Amino acid sequence: MADTFDVVIIGGGPAGQAAALALALAGHGLAIAVIDEPPRPGGQILRQPPAPFAVSNWLPGRSYDGLKAQLARFEALEGISWLGGHSAIGLVREADGLVVQASGQDGLRRLVARRVLVAAGCQDLAVPLPGWTLPGVYAAGGIQAFIKSQQIVPGERVLLAGTHPLMLLIGAQIVAAGGTLAGVLFAQPRQTMIANALRHATAAAAHAGNLAAAASAMKVLAGAGVAVRFDTALTAAIGNSQVEGARTAAGDIACNAIGLCYGFVPQSTLPRMAGARVQTAGPAGGWATVADGWGQSSVPGLFVAGETTGVAGAPAAMAAGEMAGIGIAHSLGLIDASEAQHRAGPARRRHARLLGFARMLDAVADPTGYLPAPTPDTLACRCEDVDFATIDQAIATGGSANAVKLATRCGMGACQGRNCEPTLLRRMATAGRTDDTGFTQRFPARPVAIGDLAD
Amino acid sequence: MGMRIEADVTRGNAITIIVDGEALPAFAGETVATAMLAAGRQVFRADTGGKPRGLYCNMGTCSECLVTIVASGRRVRACLTEAVDGMEIATRG
Amino acid sequence: MDPGLRRGSDGEREPDGVTHKSDVLVIGGGLIGCATAWRLARAGAQVTLLEAGDINAGASGQNAGSLHFQIERRFIENGEALAEQAARIVALNRLAITDWRGLEAELGADLHVSMAGGLMVAETPEQVAMLEAKVRRESAEGLASRLIDGDQARAVAPCLAPQILAACHLPDEGHADPRAVTPAFAAAARAEGADIRTRTAVQAIRREAGAFHVGTADAAFRADRVLIACGAWTAHVAALANLHMPLYPVALLMNATERTAPVLPQLIQHVGRRLSMKQAYAGNILIGGGWPSRLAQKADGGFDLGAKASIIQASLAGNLRAAIDTVPMVERLNLIRSWTGVTAISADQLPIVGEVPRMPGLFVAGGGSAFTLGPTFARLLARAMGGERVAELDLLSPARFEHLNSFMG
Repeated sequence: MADTFDVVIIGGGPAGQAAALALALAGHGLAIAVIDEPPRPGGQILRQPPAPFAVSNWLPGRSYDGLKAQLARFEALEGISWLGGHSAIGLVREADGLVVQASGQDGLRRLVARRVLVAAGCQDLAVPLPGWTLPGVYAAGGIQAFIKSQQIVPGERVLLAGTHPLMLLIGAQIVAAGGTLAGVLFAQPRQTMIANALRHATAAAAHAGNLAAAASAMKVLAGAGVAVRFDTALTAAIGNSQVEGARTAAGDIACNAIGLCYGFVPQSTLPRMAGARVQTAGPAGGWATVADGWGQSSVPGLFVAGETTGVAGAPAAMAAGEMAGIGIAHSLGLIDASEAQHRAGPARRRHARLLGFARMLDAVADPTGYLPAPTPDTLACRCEDVDFATIDQAIATGGSANAVKLATRCGMGACQGRNCEPTLLRRMATAGRTDDTGFTQRFPARPVAIGDLAD
Repeated sequence: MGMRIEADVTRGNAITIIVDGEALPAFAGETVATAMLAAGRQVFRADTGGKPRGLYCNMGTCSECLVTIVASGRRVRACLTEAVDGMEIATRG
Repeated sequence: MDPGLRRGSDGEREPDGVTHKSDVLVIGGGLIGCATAWRLARAGAQVTLLEAGDINAGASGQNAGSLHFQIERRFIENGEALAEQAARIVALNRLAITDWRGLEAELGADLHVSMAGGLMVAETPEQVAMLEAKVRRESAEGLASRLIDGDQARAVAPCLAPQILAACHLPDEGHADPRAVTPAFAAAARAEGADIRTRTAVQAIRREAGAFHVGTADAAFRADRVLIACGAWTAHVAALANLHMPLYPVALLMNATERTAPVLPQLIQHVGRRLSMKQAYAGNILIGGGWPSRLAQKADGGFDLGAKASIIQASLAGNLRAAIDTVPMVERLNLIRSWTGVTAISADQLPIVGEVPRMPGLFVAGGGSAFTLGPTFARLLARAMGGERVAELDLLSPARFEHLNSFMG
């Protein structure tokens, strides 16, 4: 089944929504499809409760207001083909245009588009440490998504550990949900965080609102009697068949869920699969797709926006999505160059300002030097059960990331290396190999039933 | 065990799914992963050494939560799959 | 580390102006190159091996690991003459069976060799007739293949589809782990003293006074004999010696399912459709069988062998359909990876293995089936490069293309 669109947008988060809104404004009757894995739009930042749920006072807090307002505008937009519950598993250029293969419960759809925007967001940096494969160890963003969407706290006693200040917000959300926190542990000293923030003092001043949100989250945690510790590294998750506690620099802490929060990496599979040029992303690692000021990547017709171009937060993604939408409209001949410049002006200025804040957050949250130390038998690749001793041995022979993959199976599993690639590249960099371009990105970007792909 | 948030939340209809033969209460709209965690089932698969594994990313990326829908045999990510009344799930492929 | 500094595997930079002398220089760190280097080093020769990228990075590591000893479908579908000629390769297949049975013990390595048998299946009466003709040829060449009916086939491999009418069963077929085989040969070669250098691309080959001079970006080598075993790159490297080698790159598609419980110990092939299936030791079912992918192209024309070949959707859909029709249980499994690998086929489909008459001392090896037959090619090549006359290789000799090199060399 082939569907033809003017524009296919991959990702229903802030960037994808903003692009759709800008496109709708620029051209009536454009055929636009927006595809995402959850059933409802919002992205991870606004992962919505299921349709049968009613949640009053959902995601309170000023930082969500602008995002929620845009989501409402997007959901009210007519003429958009919303393909929730679909995974974009392939992206290729074919004779009739760019082709996105979308896999859903109803099988596979082939979406042909004149332009494709990848606004696929980011994922938590996967952080190997002893015991991290025990049930109950989560990416912190996964815990937050449970609270936002499914209205569940996945554990009676949750510990958050890492380097990223987002932990404060997630912690406050757990408390507000009636959950119990075993603590919030920052691996880095408080002074280091402050010093790194002060190096970006202008950005800090310009985004006092975000800092106030952090301060009010701190207050919520203090009110609930939750210990927020600095300079306190998580060294292992402990337990037999599930998490029973956390080993930390300050002793063992009883808990039955741990959220790891050391930063975020762009979802880069699709642009890389399509051959787009990428560069190393922020301090957490990963690959940022290179784009011009309109989001146009090195592949003709393929645009990127939001965290795909480097993790900078939802408001920045919103601004970038709007610029990409305008850029796509211009590339389709719907508006001329000066009109595009004019329309993009406010978003461009907002984006520049927000990038300043993002760089500050990068500096404050930088996990470099604070990642837990794996032991030789700690698994680097969760899918294929490949431990650090094995990858270290393969790295020592001097091969590329692809060669290590071939030799060890690290990255050959169901996640296709999305979890272990940053780990492996960091490990190779420690061994002096900083020039590797990572795993060749293979089809499909997500697992898909053989029967859906067959003739 | 996962804890359903009660304040400010009205859920969909009560439903039941069956995981490895055990009936689990759930609510329409919940994912299979949520129903499992709320029932205290944290194990979604076993690794190659037989050790239990849980869900990790909850956003469709890590594939740790792949389970089998018994009726169709399809292997799906529990974190993205909506629970349907009477749905039977197996955590072993 | 200075990224511009090219290193040999020993990590030492070579001082300028020194020529490294060895008895044999092998170009290409794939299965044939590494295995031949090992055989020769073990026989006492001084061996240097140069690999432009990483060991096992080409077709040797990218293929799906079939050990297929029945006459291949591609030889049967292209007419009587080719089938007749191909039947003669069965003699080599028989040698390969013996080689594979001994390989793990010989190398002292776990290569995940499984020789639990292979079935080439037929779904139509026409295909059954093809199998019958094939078995006759194989029997004449002494291969123990046997035609069985559909029920017998399903008794051997219960996962086969009900519409399978017949199969040709060969108990020796199976599969091995392409990730393990070539590295094991390389390690064994190193242990025997071979000098293996990766990320060392050959840039010049010159024959002077009966010896070969081979140049890389920052080193010079001299050897009495040279083997070019560069898979899809073989023609390019032969060109450095001013020779034509009619080997053409082809990009093939392979697919892996997620891991599943053991269901398929055999190698499954299809006589009428492009298909190979097996369950690798890790539990993934690998699906291939020669479906084309699209080679990357250079801006100025020609193929870019260094770039990733792209998947042709019709190949993917067709390959997976053939798999489901043959082994229905794969329908519900998830595909987790499709990949493309570039190999080479020769002008007449038979591999090219042996000495180039136009340039004595220069040997080539390549042109298909080089996973299954690679260890055997290497064993025979090592003898030939040691100066022995090896009749088993006559069928594959580059001499049959000597007319192309009448004005070369």
